[in-house]
Amino acid sequence: MTVGKILLNYETDGENILPALKKINTTFGFISLENSRIVADYFSVPLSQIYETASFYDAIKVEAQPDVMVQVCFSTHCAINHSGKIIDEIERLFHLKVGDENNPRIKLEKVSCFGRCGEGPIMVVNGKVYEKVAVEEVGRILGEYI
Amino acid sequence: MEDIKIITKNWGKINPLKISDYIEVGGYSALKKFVAGMKPTEAIGEVKVSGLSGRGGAGFSTGDKMEMVAKSKKHKKYFICNLDELEPGTYKDRMIVDNDPHILLEGIIISALAIGAHKAYIYINGNYEKQFEILEYALRESRRKNLWGPGILGTKYDLDVELFSGAGAYICGEETALLNSIEGYRGEPRLRPPYPTAVGLFGAPTCVNNAETIANLPWIILNGGKKYAKIGATCSPGMKLYTLGGVVKNQGVVEAPTGITIRFLIDKLGGGMQDEKEFWFAQIGGASGHLVTEKELDTALTFSRDCPIPLGSGAIVVVDKTANIYELMLSWTEFFRHESCGKCVPCREGTFRLHEIISRLQDGEISERDREAMQDILWALENTSFCPLGKFAATAVRDAVEKLKILNI
Ligand SMILES: Cc1cc2nc3c(=O)[nH]c(=O)nc-3n(C[C@H](O)[C@H](O)[C@H](O)COP(=O)(O)O)c2cc1C
Ligand code: SF4
Ligand code: FES
Repeated sequence: MTVGKILLNYETDGENILPALKKINTTFGFISLENSRIVADYFSVPLSQIYETASFYDAIKVEAQPDVMVQVCFSTHCAINHSGKIIDEIERLFHLKVGDENNPRIKLEKVSCFGRCGEGPIMVVNGKVYEKVAVEEVGRILGEYI
Repeated sequence: MEDIKIITKNWGKINPLKISDYIEVGGYSALKKFVAGMKPTEAIGEVKVSGLSGRGGAGFSTGDKMEMVAKSKKHKKYFICNLDELEPGTYKDRMIVDNDPHILLEGIIISALAIGAHKAYIYINGNYEKQFEILEYALRESRRKNLWGPGILGTKYDLDVELFSGAGAYICGEETALLNSIEGYRGEPRLRPPYPTAVGLFGAPTCVNNAETIANLPWIILNGGKKYAKIGATCSPGMKLYTLGGVVKNQGVVEAPTGITIRFLIDKLGGGMQDEKEFWFAQIGGASGHLVTEKELDTALTFSRDCPIPLGSGAIVVVDKTANIYELMLSWTEFFRHESCGKCVPCREGTFRLHEIISRLQDGEISERDREAMQDILWALENTSFCPLGKFAATAVRDAVEKLKILNI
């Protein structure tokens, strides 16, 4: 699949910019500068607008992502249910810090509510959602990815 | 009137994926009634009489908003269902889609036709992938029944709809940021006025309504606004979905009238506190909501401006004395630091600094300098931010300091 082929599925109206960016993001893992140029040309808007939009949204990345992306919800309900401890445990197990960009294999992010507050704490690994995660389980779950 | 159900009446009773199930229990008869014999102005009149106010948090009169767009002479108009729902602790709109997607679609069709729109959007939270699929499926089924497109149910009405999935930005729930997001820009709020009802999506008059608000429409059309106005609080009547969480026995989404007290919400609907847990405080309306202590539990929750505790999204989280308040403050401030769109300085800088200060106070001590800075930042957030998010960022922290006497300030 190329970016050009993905774009052909969209009319060139402004309302298709975000959907197209999301699609390119899921296909390639992020939106490279080169691909941003192609998108900008396709929609006839400045490159800066594409970058502004792409960099704004959590669901779209403008840099290559590590193999394993771990996201832990730290909003109210999950925080009450000790998602902070899960974050500490991941930091301890993998010798990294939240938001650390330096490890090419794994990245840990604190994220906002997923709307599954009743099932918290919520952890998401490469898009797969884990509910009611216990600290003791973290090593085993992440072991499947690393 | 306490046992009446409007939004949740079909939950668990029908297969949400089967349009035939919905039709069997009387679904789409409000739409039929509307297209067969009601003028748009009459329908909007009923909504006005019902006193229905927006369930997305602001509580603006739904009938008035619809009328503003309906009265515009412009040919192009849009109707948008706001299903962004990223307020922490709130998942009522998601539950509507999970349990009864067609009640939402019926409400959207009626609202959109009443205001004279030919195109509707459903702006759905990007995390709600399953709900996106449910709606896609429900749309396919309803299209087959001639509920969309030119010639709806054999009339002259024409309406198209599109599902638009968000990309994980809380601010996009704010209606003008939502419009920017659909147009392909950063989801930053716009200056108002002009309001979206005058200059909205692609410059056209636009009515943005919350999903729960919309789900009330079929009932109001069928039963009349007068009857709806008799339910719940007189200042903002109707039924409301409450999302219960924290240390109450029954968690989840329940439907109850407006105007109930917080105590009723916790004891009756929530089934009381979990065993051996001692009430400390509750937060009403998600991370952006106020904290309430024991002595405020008899406050009736409404959307009125006079209500000391705004109902907001209708989420309630009950916190007991074993909770770590510093961790919670960290959670709130981190949320707003992350979700600030960065357009205005007070909020972009304020949420960042507030989070920094809170991170430094994990041992319960605060330096004199931080104490002063915190007061300044809270004031600036409350009084000088561009959109309500800035104010939201200060709400819970100020309440923690002033009502819970954290830090002895
Ligand atoms: C920061 C912020 C976030 C918001 N998030 C939502 C949301 O997720 N869903 C929603 O319906 N309204 C949200 N609103 C309110 C909308 O701006 C708007 O008032 C609402 O969608 C109008 O619909 P209603 O009149 O039916 O409530 C938010 C407002 C602000 C300031
Ligand atoms: S208050 Fe915050 S969210 Fe609102 S415009 Fe300013 S920076 Fe953006
Ligand atoms: S607070 Fe974590 S999913 Fe809602």
